[in-house]
Amino acid sequence: MNEILIRANNISKAFGEVKVLNDISFELKKGNVLSILGPSGSGKSTLLRIITQLERADRGSLYFNDKPLFEDDGSKANYSNNKIAREIGLKTGLVFQNFNLFPHFTVLRNITEAQIAVLKRDKHEAEDRAIALLKKLSLLDKAKAYPSQLSGGQKQRVSIARALAMDPEVLFFDEPTSALDPELTREVLNVIKQLSEEKMTMAVVTHEMEFAKAISDHAIFMEGGYIIEEGDKDSIFTAAEKERTRQFIHSMSN
Amino acid sequence: MTKLLSLMLKGSIMNIKIFGLTLLFALPLGFIVAKGRMSKIKIVKALVNIYIQIMRGTPLILQLIFVYFAPYYIFGVSYDRFTAVIISFVINYAAYFAEIYRSGLQAIDKGQYEASKVLGFSKLYTFFHIILPQVFKIILPALAGEVITLVKDTALAQTIGVAELFRAAQNAASREFSTMPIFIAGVFFFVMNYLVSKFFNIVEAKMNYYE
Repeated sequence: MNEILIRANNISKAFGEVKVLNDISFELKKGNVLSILGPSGSGKSTLLRIITQLERADRGSLYFNDKPLFEDDGSKANYSNNKIAREIGLKTGLVFQNFNLFPHFTVLRNITEAQIAVLKRDKHEAEDRAIALLKKLSLLDKAKAYPSQLSGGQKQRVSIARALAMDPEVLFFDEPTSALDPELTREVLNVIKQLSEEKMTMAVVTHEMEFAKAISDHAIFMEGGYIIEEGDKDSIFTAAEKERTRQFIHSMSN
Repeated sequence: MTKLLSLMLKGSIMNIKIFGLTLLFALPLGFIVAKGRMSKIKIVKALVNIYIQIMRGTPLILQLIFVYFAPYYIFGVSYDRFTAVIISFVINYAAYFAEIYRSGLQAIDKGQYEASKVLGFSKLYTFFHIILPQVFKIILPALAGEVITLVKDTALAQTIGVAELFRAAQNAASREFSTMPIFIAGVFFFVMNYLVSKFFNIVEAKMNYYE
């Protein structure tokens, strides 16, 4: 039995009058990969943004290694103090759809900056780590390039390296290939696949069904802010119970 | 002729002083004003907006006169003319700089803040190391235009009797019944602004290391 890294209980969130998440609960075990599937507007991104602390939940609880990021007190989600929130934040990495690399830094510095400023690593250590990651992602020759000189696929691989350099315990991907041309999608998916083989704990929001099926241990299907169905890989991708889930997976698989 | 030139050189030192001191205070003050203009607190935003409207909506020459004479008429106190010039220029230019900064700040994608937050940078670190360098590059052309205008505006200091280059030229012109000193003053302003433009060209080229 793998240990549970993240446990979410009944998370709800509204933007004004619009409820975007309703009673979302799931678990993510160490070394597992979770796919979060669903049409646009289903709340997938908001869920990732709550776990990575870019948004705040209204209700519910979230535990990271049994430590609460927030806990429902019966009327609202009660957030832990800044110290704990920050501690958890440093253990969670996020890869964005639009990369969000720092355009004024070289590739190398994009990967070293937070290691030095946040983790207080010395410059050599940070650079060694960055170079090892660039080597692994076949980007070593781009170390001195600026983001604007890279292709979309290269940019996304750099942003993965930037996240990995912080040694997160879990890495979240928010539609990591949606901004890429089809031929560049492959190189990014291969990197994520490689990470899953190395037993990196990950949660991936994606529309690439074949890919999701190949890397996931577990999947959840969301629509309209609700989890419609969840289960292990086989039950969701090949034998979903709900008609709506089957329909969605089928329509996205072509 | 040499006497005329030395008089005008002396005068232009005053212009350079006004120029330098205005930038020294107005550039950072502009940032505070921009932050106020973008504040979520409605009353702060409204007050700062009114201030910017007044500064940009009335002639600088009028602001100079007001800043220098108002304390005299209201409180009966008078003070140093040069100080009045610096105060007027600083509060006027801070308003213009603020709007330039605001345009730059608003041009930064919110993803830059989000990536910084997820990586664990503090708010201060994010501002100075991630946001500010990018804002600086974006606003450089607009900033250059404003600084060039400032060089020319320093001639307005004579309105409240501060002896600067243009006043020196006008005095010389009426003494010698010749417009020549005025044109020489024009050359002085042109040369100063040529140097300012050159400076900004160099900085812009330096910032071109990324797109």
